[in-house]
Amino acid sequence: MRSWLAIVLMVVLGVLMIIAVIQLPQPGSPDAPAQTHVSAYYVEGGKELGGAENLVTAVLLNFRALDTFGEVVVIFSALVAVLAVAAAVAGTGPAGITRTAAETESVEVSPLVAFMVRLLAPFIATFAVFVMLKGHVLPGGGFQGGAVLGAMLILLALFAHRPKPSRFGHPAGLFWLRATGVLAFVLVGLLGLAMTGWMFAMPHDPLAREAMMIALELGIGIGGAAVLIGLFRALADG
Amino acid sequence: MDNLITHIDYIAAVVLFLIGLYIMLVRQNLLKKLLGLNIMETAVFAFIVTTGMVHDGSPPLLAADASGPFASALPHALVLTGIVVAVSITALALALIIRIQREYGTIELQELLNHSASGQSHSGVRQ
Repeated sequence: MRSWLAIVLMVVLGVLMIIAVIQLPQPGSPDAPAQTHVSAYYVEGGKELGGAENLVTAVLLNFRALDTFGEVVVIFSALVAVLAVAAAVAGTGPAGITRTAAETESVEVSPLVAFMVRLLAPFIATFAVFVMLKGHVLPGGGFQGGAVLGAMLILLALFAHRPKPSRFGHPAGLFWLRATGVLAFVLVGLLGLAMTGWMFAMPHDPLAREAMMIALELGIGIGGAAVLIGLFRALADG
Repeated sequence: MDNLITHIDYIAAVVLFLIGLYIMLVRQNLLKKLLGLNIMETAVFAFIVTTGMVHDGSPPLLAADASGPFASALPHALVLTGIVVAVSITALALALIIRIQREYGTIELQELLNHSASGQSHSGVRQ
């Protein structure tokens, strides 16, 4: 598209959208519908009904557990799709394309960087597990912890050449690890169905509820990290 | 006109959204289009999070000694979902871009269009 035409379109769209947004309630006003309807209900009863002091976690894992289940399925499906595309690339690449040495050999990493990454990795992993385990009380949760853990794995893969693909467990185990988030959600959802009669519902017993939340957070976190490193590997190898 | 000042957070999100849309429309490189899409997604997330903001609010952590007003928890949870979906879209798009590069030797949109117009089989030239 010609850039002057795009600029005209941007100006028209911008004027329309700015006219729309300045008629919204002022950002930060406590009287806005975003603060008075569902949110007020969450603040009122979120701790008892949602079972988590962190309301974001209560919304994610309890009030809107079905949405979060869909979210976990989406990121798992993305990994499956990326693996399928990468496999198609490896299988049917046009003849005459061979990888040059520059592509297959990795650049030499400074020993200092590799040492620092290896030194910091256990601490990053500990922090990630902490974020997962305390996600229902403090800021954090499964997705955040999974992102931290996945970033650590990608750092290791980039700078310390670990985990080596061959040593990372056999493919079947890896597949189950990547599906941890989906499986944890299905299992906890069925457990809720058995205990309360509603899918994804949580019993009122605080201890059981906390245990189910932690199981979900750990499942989402570990599964998310496995999916992230899987996406990285598929893109790097493909 | 006062609203232009008080709603500056929303307007910033609109401007960011338009920057991303402009990049998606004008740039011919598929990778740059993907970056534009990511900028648009960021703008939408910023907009939704802003709706959950409250003046002098605290994070929605209902510890025993916490006192309100609390920021709305729902936009945060929705944006968390949105970020995960955005990551999934980015990863799949990157995989498809790699595949296009392998297949046609280019990720410039105009060259790809010329390629399909001329109807020749893929040359397999890498750039």
